[in-house]
Amino acid sequence: MKAGFQTVFFKEMKDVLRDRKTLLLMIVLPIVVVPLLLNLLIGFVIKKEQEARTEVLEYVVFGDEFAPELAKTFEAANGFKKVTLGSPDELVAAIREDRIDFGLVIPEKTAAQLSGQEQASIELHFDNASMGSKVEDRVQDLVEKFNDELTAARLAKLGVPPGQKQKSLLEPVRLRKQGTGKIREVIGDRIGGMVPYFFIAFCFMGVVYPAIHLGAGEKERGTLETLLLAPIPRHQVVLGKFLAVFCGGIIAVLLNLASLGTWLAIKAGELRGIIGTLIGSIDLLDLVLLALMLIPVAAMFAALLLSVSIFARNSAEASTLISPFGIVLIVPAALAMLPGVELNWFWASVPVTNVSLAMKELLKGTMDYTMLLAIFASSTLIAGGLLFFCAKWFNRESVLFRV
Amino acid sequence: MLQVNSLTKTFRLARKKRAREQSLDPREKGRWFHAIDGIDLGVRRGQVLGLLGPNGAGKTTLLRILSTSLKPTSGVVLCDGEDLTKNPLEIRKRIGFVSGNTGLYGRLTAREMLRYYGKLHGMAAAALDERIGSLARKLDMGWFLDQRNETLSSGMRQKVSIARALIHDPEILLFDELTTGLDVAAAESVLTVVAACKSEGRTVLFSTHHMDEVDQLCDSVVIIHEGKLCFEGGVDAMRSQTGESFLDKAFLRLIRPKTEGATT
Repeated sequence: MKAGFQTVFFKEMKDVLRDRKTLLLMIVLPIVVVPLLLNLLIGFVIKKEQEARTEVLEYVVFGDEFAPELAKTFEAANGFKKVTLGSPDELVAAIREDRIDFGLVIPEKTAAQLSGQEQASIELHFDNASMGSKVEDRVQDLVEKFNDELTAARLAKLGVPPGQKQKSLLEPVRLRKQGTGKIREVIGDRIGGMVPYFFIAFCFMGVVYPAIHLGAGEKERGTLETLLLAPIPRHQVVLGKFLAVFCGGIIAVLLNLASLGTWLAIKAGELRGIIGTLIGSIDLLDLVLLALMLIPVAAMFAALLLSVSIFARNSAEASTLISPFGIVLIVPAALAMLPGVELNWFWASVPVTNVSLAMKELLKGTMDYTMLLAIFASSTLIAGGLLFFCAKWFNRESVLFRV
Repeated sequence: MLQVNSLTKTFRLARKKRAREQSLDPREKGRWFHAIDGIDLGVRRGQVLGLLGPNGAGKTTLLRILSTSLKPTSGVVLCDGEDLTKNPLEIRKRIGFVSGNTGLYGRLTAREMLRYYGKLHGMAAAALDERIGSLARKLDMGWFLDQRNETLSSGMRQKVSIARALIHDPEILLFDELTTGLDVAAAESVLTVVAACKSEGRTVLFSTHHMDEVDQLCDSVVIIHEGKLCFEGGVDAMRSQTGESFLDKAFLRLIRPKTEGATT
């Protein structure tokens, strides 16, 4: 014969998995929607990037007669179209109204400066508020090309032959960067903070609905009272419910992990091998440890949200009470994304953030396993404490029969 | 035999309720609400005891204490001489409880739900299946046993609730406003089950607002008003004590002096 909590657990799982909303949040969302959204998002970013690099930029030049060679460089370049504008005073308005992409203003003295072997300055007017704009990069490339040609010609005129001689003159000492960080560490540091954030957020989402359904939902439906009359201790009822809610979080995380991993493996080539390099450098043990770290997090969320839910009079009140927890619990996870926030004994003592940072270190491959063990143990202890509180809470008449 | 002696139950009032203007309810004393105040009653095996009282009188609180959902503040409840609060898990095996607003698990079928409660009561699979079959025949619910509860009508749902309360074959049944919201046919069908429970020798506490049900089923009656017992006796005693032939009027006569006292 099964123990009381097992009977409660299997019934709750059956009940929860027969609900469309739960299936949507726990299974459909991670398997279908997340890869679909990522696909759309990455596709959109790549498309915009390509468009920004290849779109024809319309520009005006004032004072092209003072630097005709430079003006010709722009006219000859692909992807640039020269247009006309009344006066330089109209430049700002024309750029803001999107009539032109940029404007160059070449001062009168430029001609004398160029012929006199002096350094000249020209002005570039463009919309620097537009994040995706490549105007600055593309104009810079053309000006650099013009500068290179002019420099080579000037040096040749001074008797320096083109090639290595000119290079040694222009750059006597060349700095060759040899980073000691492995590629995995570098990539892990850049994107490693995002991965735990997503997993912890999905874990939370996976826990929310079962917690509401099995706590406040039971009160609302009038089934809690009959369940409390079953001849099993209340802590077994709580344990059965807790395990079902906890499984909700774990299932959501594992499905996310699987669906995200599959998507990344397929898309790794398209993402120029960066993600592929990262995936390739993560071994099975790291993946197991990553999943393992989420267990106490799911347990913490399950115990906490079940306590909140059982306090609420109905599902609507439970949703209202749980919403702020979404922010309170997810923000610590997001801290791992901030630059300069590294795993040390201070951060190892901050719940949720410590797990998030530990997962980041696992992705980087620089995990201190003593610290990992300490984080796992402390998180499990907190989850156990919250479960104990939940069981005590479940024994209070003022909570169960709150009016 | 179920024996209740000097039973009281007080609840702490919420701050916002206390902050409001002073209540006229004499049961509110400071920050405490005396839902049940010194109730004594007894029910013999095989008897149906009608539990009457206006809304908010304390009937549901009393039934919740008897079903072990709530703990009494003071007083004693004895079930065949055994204190209810000492070993509630054992007592629960002997009690079945159904109320008018008892819910069902909508996503489970009636059979799955009965199995669930049977397992919680520690019943073995074979005995459980046999018991479900027997209850299905008795309550005429075999034809909807494998339908999800969310698809059932009110009458069908109440039958499932009763079957749930009877699954472990309890000696004592607590029914709280069992026919609330049911149509005449469904109510009649449910009352037949209550009568059958009596004939099987079970002890029944039956809370209701319908005097015809009291007349039809109850061996004795207690009336609770504002948390206190204001009548205990047979149905005929209700009539003779008040001089009213209709139970509705007899009930009102018995509680009216209290109501008037509270409002003046």
